[in-house]
Amino acid sequence: MAAVTHFPGVIGQIRLVAALRWRLLRNAMRRKNNRLDLIGLLLSEIFGSLLVLGLCFAFYAGSYNFLSRGHLNWIALLYWGIFVWWQLFPVLVAGFGASFEFRTLLRFPLSRSAFYIIGLAYGLADVSALASLCWLLSITLGAAAAQPHVVPATLLVNLVFVLMNVNLERLIGSWLERLLARRRTRELFFALFILSMVSLQFVSPLIERYGDALRPWVRVAYQYLAPFPGSLAGRAVAGAAANQYGDFFLGLAGLSFYVLLFAALLWVRFSAQYRGEELSEAPAPSRLIPRAMAKETGEAAVLRFLSPQVAEVLRKEFYYLLRNGFSFFLVIMPPLFILLFTTQVGSLRHRSSGFDLPHASLFPAMMGYLVFILIAPAYNSFAYEGRGVQTYFMAPIRFRHVFLGKNLLFVFLLALELVLSIVFFAYRVGLPPAPRFVATLAAIVFSVAGQLPIANWSALNFPRKLNFGQMRGQRQSGMAVLTLFGVQIVLGGIGALILFSGRWFDNPWLPAEAFAGLAAAALAGYFASLDALSELAEKKKERLLEALCR
Amino acid sequence: MADIAISTDKLTRRFGALTAVDSIDLQVAAGQFFGFLGPNGAGKSTTIKMLTGLLVPTSGRMQLLGLDFAVHPVEVKRQIGVVPEGMGLFERLTGAEYLHFVGRMYGLDLPTTRQRSEELLEFMQLADRPKSLIADYSHGMQKKLALAAAVIHGPRILFLDEPFEGVDALAAGALKSLLGRMAERGVTIFLTSHVLEIVERLCSHVAIIHQGRLVAQGSLEELRAGVPSEEGSKTTLEQIFLSIVGQGGAERPQLEELSWLL
Repeated sequence: MAAVTHFPGVIGQIRLVAALRWRLLRNAMRRKNNRLDLIGLLLSEIFGSLLVLGLCFAFYAGSYNFLSRGHLNWIALLYWGIFVWWQLFPVLVAGFGASFEFRTLLRFPLSRSAFYIIGLAYGLADVSALASLCWLLSITLGAAAAQPHVVPATLLVNLVFVLMNVNLERLIGSWLERLLARRRTRELFFALFILSMVSLQFVSPLIERYGDALRPWVRVAYQYLAPFPGSLAGRAVAGAAANQYGDFFLGLAGLSFYVLLFAALLWVRFSAQYRGEELSEAPAPSRLIPRAMAKETGEAAVLRFLSPQVAEVLRKEFYYLLRNGFSFFLVIMPPLFILLFTTQVGSLRHRSSGFDLPHASLFPAMMGYLVFILIAPAYNSFAYEGRGVQTYFMAPIRFRHVFLGKNLLFVFLLALELVLSIVFFAYRVGLPPAPRFVATLAAIVFSVAGQLPIANWSALNFPRKLNFGQMRGQRQSGMAVLTLFGVQIVLGGIGALILFSGRWFDNPWLPAEAFAGLAAAALAGYFASLDALSELAEKKKERLLEALCR
Repeated sequence: MADIAISTDKLTRRFGALTAVDSIDLQVAAGQFFGFLGPNGAGKSTTIKMLTGLLVPTSGRMQLLGLDFAVHPVEVKRQIGVVPEGMGLFERLTGAEYLHFVGRMYGLDLPTTRQRSEELLEFMQLADRPKSLIADYSHGMQKKLALAAAVIHGPRILFLDEPFEGVDALAAGALKSLLGRMAERGVTIFLTSHVLEIVERLCSHVAIIHQGRLVAQGSLEELRAGVPSEEGSKTTLEQIFLSIVGQGGAERPQLEELSWLL
């Protein structure tokens, strides 16, 4: 056996890993047999490439202008931009799905140096790194056009800058991998991400209000950034451009120090992985502890009015909502956005006078948005059930119980959020006139009761499994999304027609009366649909189980 | 003859051109500990899925406890318990929450559900992690919880798809004694397992399915009688299984081809 064994060197091992990555990519593409998926993927790739290419021109122009016009201190801004992108983008996408873990290669006889170099190579193959390399090349080209003698120095600085970034990015990635190995940390990370995305929406109003006061603080903070990588790289290039080689060498030495520091820390991290670090999600064995007696709590009052089966589905849905970061934030976001929108509209209100027509239309529009955001998950309402969906078919129940439980939770949530949003709206903008207010509420009942049977039908016909606490690699059911948008367009059209009918017929209460009639009909239709949907569930159960139990 | 708990008549399931289960006629008496065996891909799980209402047969009939499944699905489901392939757990509930959910879905009242949940968690040694989500359980713990959920309503027939896979020896011993006592009290247990020693120790009757067809059915003694044995030694279930399914080793790969390894 030993006679035919020939261990490849470091280069050979890297080549093998590169081939493995290529095959993984090729095989992943094979699964996307749906033509629309492939087109979507290509479009997003083209869009991403255009974005990178557009910024290449910006970096080229920045570098050229700063060097040719003598704004040498501003060059650091370009490097800071690349630095922040390179380090932040991989962190943002880290928590949202499984990707190939190169740590799994440790089962093969790789040397520690090969493991380290492959780790770095992986870092250079990331989207963030490739885009950054393009931008650094653009900076070099800009420098070449402005001051050709700076090119060798820029190339050298860029090389050290790349080494520093790739080491740091892998270091952060390696720590993140360790932290995110646990499900709870992953979900917490995801929740923080959503929260930061929501917070970003408030940046613009805050800058508008406090921007002038912040400006001196920003100037002071910029000085304190001098010992850090972006400023050091800028200082080295600026030094070379101004023939001040002391600055050039100081900047370069500072950057090199960071390279050595991050490389050493990364070596320590990779060595820990190389020795065999345990990142398992399974809990460690614990000693048996005496179980606390279950609290003898009675059934919640609201559940006593429901059949045990409906009550249990409702309770289970509630637990799932609380434990699913994505769904939970989807639920709390609409009132926050309404607060955000009304903050901006509220500032407009101070400049305008009274509650004019756009403001009166804003209330139904905001409420329509609320219903749209909240009802969207109902079109694929079994997405998070996983294999548990089998329980519904094994238990001696009719499927109407499942839909009733799921839909009831949605209605409770919607009612709660409506109250919150109306309070926000009234506080920031003021309530619309009574006929418009009542018409909107009746329209919500009509829209919800009318949509739920369609959403339930869509959930049975177009199920797609989604995983808790993940975003990357998660794709909603295309047909469910199409159905959702189709229904919104139809309902939006009907709603707009009825709302404007009040003006046409000069009867402000007409829309409220029309929506009330439609709401009553939709409610009757909803209850009538449950038995038909139960039968449909029996017919569609194989498709449902196949889609969710994988 | 004893009451029939499970009876199928030409039960068939096709997936496109593939016939996964081909006209099988099963007869399982009430209170039997019944082993359902077959090699990988033979049609065991497909059969269990049909018998428990997770899959619709392409043709044929099945009766459980004298009730036609197609006509009385809810009544039948009330009387059966299932540990399906993949276990069918809601992974974002705790063990206690899941048992509470299942108990109530089967119509148990609140105090009974609570009491049985606590007792089952204690018995399955799952009570020391009251706040852990099922997603954080080990595979063996999930298996034990799935079994607890299958018995919480006191079923008359229990379907178990590989119930001992991943369960430690200690828990497996406790489960076997529990299942044995349930069978003694008249519960019919329909079990699939690849571990033939377990089936041989627990089951009184066995059926073997191969390429979708039922190739043997009867008590262990009846099956032994059909296989020639060496004088003085008792034929094992493994020998019976191999003689029926493996045609005495004719399908084994040619080991000579792996001479470089051997």
